Amino acid sequence: MTQPNEFDVLAIGGGIAGEEAALNLANIGYKVLLVEKDLSIGGKMIHLSKVFPTLDCGACITTPKVSETARHPNISIYTNTVIEDIEKHSENDFSATLVEKPRYVTDDCTGCQICEEKCPVVVDDQYQWDMVGRKAIYIPFSIANPRIAAIDIENCSLCGLCEKVCPADAIDFTQEEKRSTIKIKTVIIATGFNLFDPTLIPRYGFGKFQNVVTAMQMERQLVPTRPFNNVLRPKDGKMPDNIAYILCVGSRDETIGNPICSQVCCMYSTKQAQLLMGALPMADVTIYYIHIRAFGKGFCEFYQQGKGMGIEFIKGKVGLIKEKENGNLIVRYEDIQEGKVKEAEHDLVVLSVGILPNTDFSTMFKNTKIEQDDFDYVKQVDELSSPAKTNIDGVFVAGTSSGPMDIPDSILSAGAASAEAAGYLKGGKK
Amino acid sequence: MAKINPDFAKELKEYGALDLNACYNCGTCTAVCSLSDEDNSFPRKMIRLSVLGLEDELQSSVDPWLCYYCGECSETCPQQTDPGELMMTLRRYLTAKYDWTGLASKLYTSKIWEFGAIIFLAAFILVLFIFFHGPMTTELTDDGGVKLNTFAPWKIVEIGDWIMAGLLSFFLLSNIFNMYLKIVRNDKSIKIPLKLYFTEFWALIVHFATQLQFSKCDTELTGKKYTFSTYWIIHWFLMTSYVIMLIMIMVFLGWFQTDNIYEWWHPQRLLGYYATIGLTIGIVYFFIERIRKKSEKSKHSHVTDWTFLVLLFLTTITGILVHIFRIYGMPYPTYYMYVFHLMVLFPMLMIEVPFSKWSHLAYRPFAIYFNNVVIAARKQSK
Repeated sequence: MTQPNEFDVLAIGGGIAGEEAALNLANIGYKVLLVEKDLSIGGKMIHLSKVFPTLDCGACITTPKVSETARHPNISIYTNTVIEDIEKHSENDFSATLVEKPRYVTDDCTGCQICEEKCPVVVDDQYQWDMVGRKAIYIPFSIANPRIAAIDIENCSLCGLCEKVCPADAIDFTQEEKRSTIKIKTVIIATGFNLFDPTLIPRYGFGKFQNVVTAMQMERQLVPTRPFNNVLRPKDGKMPDNIAYILCVGSRDETIGNPICSQVCCMYSTKQAQLLMGALPMADVTIYYIHIRAFGKGFCEFYQQGKGMGIEFIKGKVGLIKEKENGNLIVRYEDIQEGKVKEAEHDLVVLSVGILPNTDFSTMFKNTKIEQDDFDYVKQVDELSSPAKTNIDGVFVAGTSSGPMDIPDSILSAGAASAEAAGYLKGGKK
Repeated sequence: MAKINPDFAKELKEYGALDLNACYNCGTCTAVCSLSDEDNSFPRKMIRLSVLGLEDELQSSVDPWLCYYCGECSETCPQQTDPGELMMTLRRYLTAKYDWTGLASKLYTSKIWEFGAIIFLAAFILVLFIFFHGPMTTELTDDGGVKLNTFAPWKIVEIGDWIMAGLLSFFLLSNIFNMYLKIVRNDKSIKIPLKLYFTEFWALIVHFATQLQFSKCDTELTGKKYTFSTYWIIHWFLMTSYVIMLIMIMVFLGWFQTDNIYEWWHPQRLLGYYATIGLTIGIVYFFIERIRKKSEKSKHSHVTDWTFLVLLFLTTITGILVHIFRIYGMPYPTYYMYVFHLMVLFPMLMIEVPFSKWSHLAYRPFAIYFNNVVIAARKQSK
């Protein structure tokens, strides 16, 4: 029997890669601790509508996995928890300090949402990418796991209404940060990625022109749990009928310090464009691209399918966006096919933002530094024959922590990481 | 048939270009450019032509002359190809190619030629003075000034002026004619009605006098605070100063190079002050910009850029000193400074105006003029 604070595996990050790795190892009998800094596991994928190139429902793939992870007897989950440090003592002997942030709501919460109804404070909902509001006490999103409310204490007015109405008596304002030390034998880094912040490219006007949105905001408008139950442009709630996508926003761009391809934007934009043609049958969709990178299985067919459906692909990166009084946007670009500079009007512009590394992992390791590659991802020291291996023996990397990749690749990568971790745990080679 | 020349980038390097192969043809540069339009979409097209080494198409293109290097393309280029610097490089390259004597190309690509020519021409002036100067009298005029016209009578200097002006005009005009052949006559399929050369002539005058195209170039579109108008104003001040000086020297030398000392409000002095102040401010400003390297425009300096600035600076300073020494009655400093002044002025004009950086004073307005003619002809034939 292991002690309650002893585990075989520490999986950092509860996204699709972390879950997959945790499940693989738990299924062969290892005790896994999954640590997630967010309020719910599920990562980015749980917020997506459909996945390319099969157009399968993203939530239908990820929610069963989330539930399986949450219910697995060999997996313990800490959400709202960050890792302060990880120390390696010898092979198969690591210790880590976890800091569980207060939720101010106990596990007794039934997710009834009465508190949410009563709470008087409204702020931007980060799980709908700021398109709508939420309360200061809130269930993160409808398919969150654990489905427990949390109080956003920075915005909370401390009125105490929630405490009064809660039928389960689950509100606890006295909660404090909980620090605990655990012992583990191996670590899997699956901290994932961040999305590029397009305010760093002011000429696209994101944040200034309301009808310039990010692809994640558009993605949210296409999911079953979407905020408006329709596709609307933010400024005036009009249904857009001429939508533009701008690819490579924050990818392949030296000026913002990310010269590499994000690998997913071409395809997720093509996917969204196809979904939009279903959601708004009369809408024109134009995709401005530098190169279409349809390299994966079924991608090229998917791109051809989009073209066949009537998506207009224009070779040329948009240089700048101007706003008209009615909220429509003028995009200025060079039509590379013709070699002429042109302007086009659209009523909604979607910025296909790229992927940047989430470098949270870089400060966790105390006595040995974890190596990063040229672009700040976890360095794969033996990329070809042992792709999950890092410079620290016993620490493995899964998913987009090692570089931009799509969902199938993340799952494959997690499979590799769990296999290599299992080998390490068996006392075999690193 | 177009012929690709992959080695062209190497040739272009001597004129200053950076790594062109980095370009992945996204067109951001063209899209952010405030001067680029449907008729002339640049600078990406120029990068493409340079990468492929299509020299005929490059030489028949006016686009480099339409660019005033605000640097937004270089700032926003995702591959850091630096299209702005390529346009600058192409202006040097085109100056070399318009010149049928081949001197411009030598001056641009070889430091030995550049400095050798300056020293040779300066020495030529020195020799002329050593053998032919007038008496170096220490006697002063009635109002206490130096008798400069005894040392170097303006009538003789003016003859030299005219010979130089003749040479300059001959080279510059023949180069412009060459430019005309390359730009307008290159595409034989367009018929250009003679009338257009007259109806579009205003462009030449207006753009020469005001640098209208320059004033349209700004950095506001990408949301930067810095606007380009400071550049334009200072450049315009410099340009008018230079033109005033040139007219006084070439046409009114007898009136300008006088032994009289006029009151401060006399036009001879006022014009002189305007010109020297304009030149000094302009030169100092461009010096500082090039040293600070803050703006894209001044980040990369070719050796010829510095040569031009230094020569212009020395000419201005020595001119001012001649004036000071003369009115304060210092004969020898006046004479020596006068010789030195001409030793800088002569090479500067001979090298810079027809063969180097200064030729843009003609090429830029002519490029717009030729471009307007071609565009109008194209529209008419449609």
